[in-house]
Amino acid sequence: MDIFFQQIINGLTIGSLYALIALGYTMVYGILKLINFAHGDLVALSAFVGMTVFAKILGGEASLFSVIALFLITMAVIAVAGVALDKSAYKPLRNAPRLSAVVSALGAGLVIQNGIMLTWGPNVNFFPGNLVPNIVWNIGGTVVTFIQMLILVLSLILMIALYLFINRTKMGTAIRASAIDKDASRLMGINVDRVISLVFIIGSALGAVGGIFIGMYYRGITFEMGWQYGLYAFVAAIMGGIGNIPGAMLGGILLGLFNALIAGYVSSTWTDAFTFLLLILIIIFRPTGILGEKVAEKV
Amino acid sequence: MKNTKNLLFILFFACLILYPFVAEGRWLAVGITFLIFSIVALSEDIVLGRAGMFDMGHAIYFGMGAYICGILNYHYGLPIVATIPFAIIIPALFGICLSAPIVHLRGDYLLVTTLGLNMVFLQVLENDAFGLTGGPNGIFGIDSLNLFGFQLMSQTSIYYVAFLFFIITLLIIKNLEHGKAGRAFHYLSQDPIASQSIGINVRFYRILAFALGAGIAGAAGVLFAIQYGAISPEAFTFKESVLFFAIVLVGGPSSIPGILIGTFVMFVLPEVFRQFDTARYLVFGLAMILAMVLRPNGILPFKFGKFPKFVREK
Repeated sequence: MDIFFQQIINGLTIGSLYALIALGYTMVYGILKLINFAHGDLVALSAFVGMTVFAKILGGEASLFSVIALFLITMAVIAVAGVALDKSAYKPLRNAPRLSAVVSALGAGLVIQNGIMLTWGPNVNFFPGNLVPNIVWNIGGTVVTFIQMLILVLSLILMIALYLFINRTKMGTAIRASAIDKDASRLMGINVDRVISLVFIIGSALGAVGGIFIGMYYRGITFEMGWQYGLYAFVAAIMGGIGNIPGAMLGGILLGLFNALIAGYVSSTWTDAFTFLLLILIIIFRPTGILGEKVAEKV
Repeated sequence: MKNTKNLLFILFFACLILYPFVAEGRWLAVGITFLIFSIVALSEDIVLGRAGMFDMGHAIYFGMGAYICGILNYHYGLPIVATIPFAIIIPALFGICLSAPIVHLRGDYLLVTTLGLNMVFLQVLENDAFGLTGGPNGIFGIDSLNLFGFQLMSQTSIYYVAFLFFIITLLIIKNLEHGKAGRAFHYLSQDPIASQSIGINVRFYRILAFALGAGIAGAAGVLFAIQYGAISPEAFTFKESVLFFAIVLVGGPSSIPGILIGTFVMFVLPEVFRQFDTARYLVFGLAMILAMVLRPNGILPFKFGKFPKFVREK
């Protein structure tokens, strides 16, 4: 039974990382109907930016202030990068065939990935390990670390905040309206371009938090890791129903749990295969995801 | 207009035939790579460009062809020539079986599902399924091609075999362009519901496109196995699939010259600019964005329909 609870804790931790990153995919998809393949690479970039910000600007001294500053600076940098990405690679293609924007996203992903490689080198870099106290709780044989608790709590707070923002504020209403019908929203006086920028800001900032967490949790970061985490987060978004914000959160958590349980009980070398088989089954039987709505086919 | 086009094609083939006389060593290998990846890109184009289905797992069939050739030759001692039919038919059957449950999915979902299938395929290879695939190291020591008692060891002979496959692929696609199946693909890529209402069996033709694309990619896989004499999983990851996907869209869907230009840009130019080594993929990504922004339909998209002259000249 110990292994079960241990894997649940691990799964929840990874799951909330996936959920944070998946929100970026799902929000952009909701509005632009575009799979933003470069999002995973932005997440990878945030881990590297975070590492450098901590070492160079904050002097490598760990304190409550410097950790908060690390998060805020990185989130700001990645948010700017996200908006720049939209303006340079996606905005010129708003009225082009949908696949053109997908290729542009793939190209942007390559640019970011190789930009990281040229700046920080092709080898594994190590995220500073002294950011948070190294506390370990042992609850009846299940080990929970401080980092895991931090990831779980902070992700939960961010997700609740996002949910409230989307559902309770005027800007949130504008985002939801633009996701349903851009032209009608424009007629109602919503500045859709600003909404799109806002979505890229929020999505990238949440991805940046995910990237820093990845650095803090796994320590080793590589320039290629964006593909891997991005792909998993993307699968989470699809599972929950892409375009659906609570769906992305649920999908992320479920995917993390599923992964951890497969790794713990079946085989760790077949995890990917099982994950993608699950994805394919979900898509075949519920094509719009777990929380997705039925979309009427155009006739 | 048509004459210039034909002339350009004849010139292109003449260049391809004469290429081994001027190139050697690394450049000849680049030429073979160009031919092999052109075949795969053309086969991807049948599914993505012509039939309009977002297939992001085409490396599966390419890899399957290569692995079937490798396994049958290495484990069962079959001569390479005898493995070719298997390497075409088995991927085609897999194309049918894998696509049958998913062809009805809408665009992006099909893309994700095929991508997922690619990941499953990769794990099967990496985990040494049934003790046949050799795990992460793949299979080393595949025989060279033996044709009528001649050992085709040299790069030049492999080049001409690849060239032969390339010509056959082009003939199939030319035939498709003028044939019933090709027109059906075009209609259903434009509007599946309308084409159903004029009596096209959408499901049948979609699966047919997958089978055809998979079979041709499988044949290219054999060439790949012959060229390197070895195969390993990393040549068939989903990144390769993404690359083929990008080639078709950057070059121009349903356009043979477009696809060939796409392959040239994606596979040959990186070889030419090897001295920039680490920065080349960065440049490459920028080029992808730029190509799409400037020409959203691809560099050389195919123009459909024949308009009367007075309409065209306005």
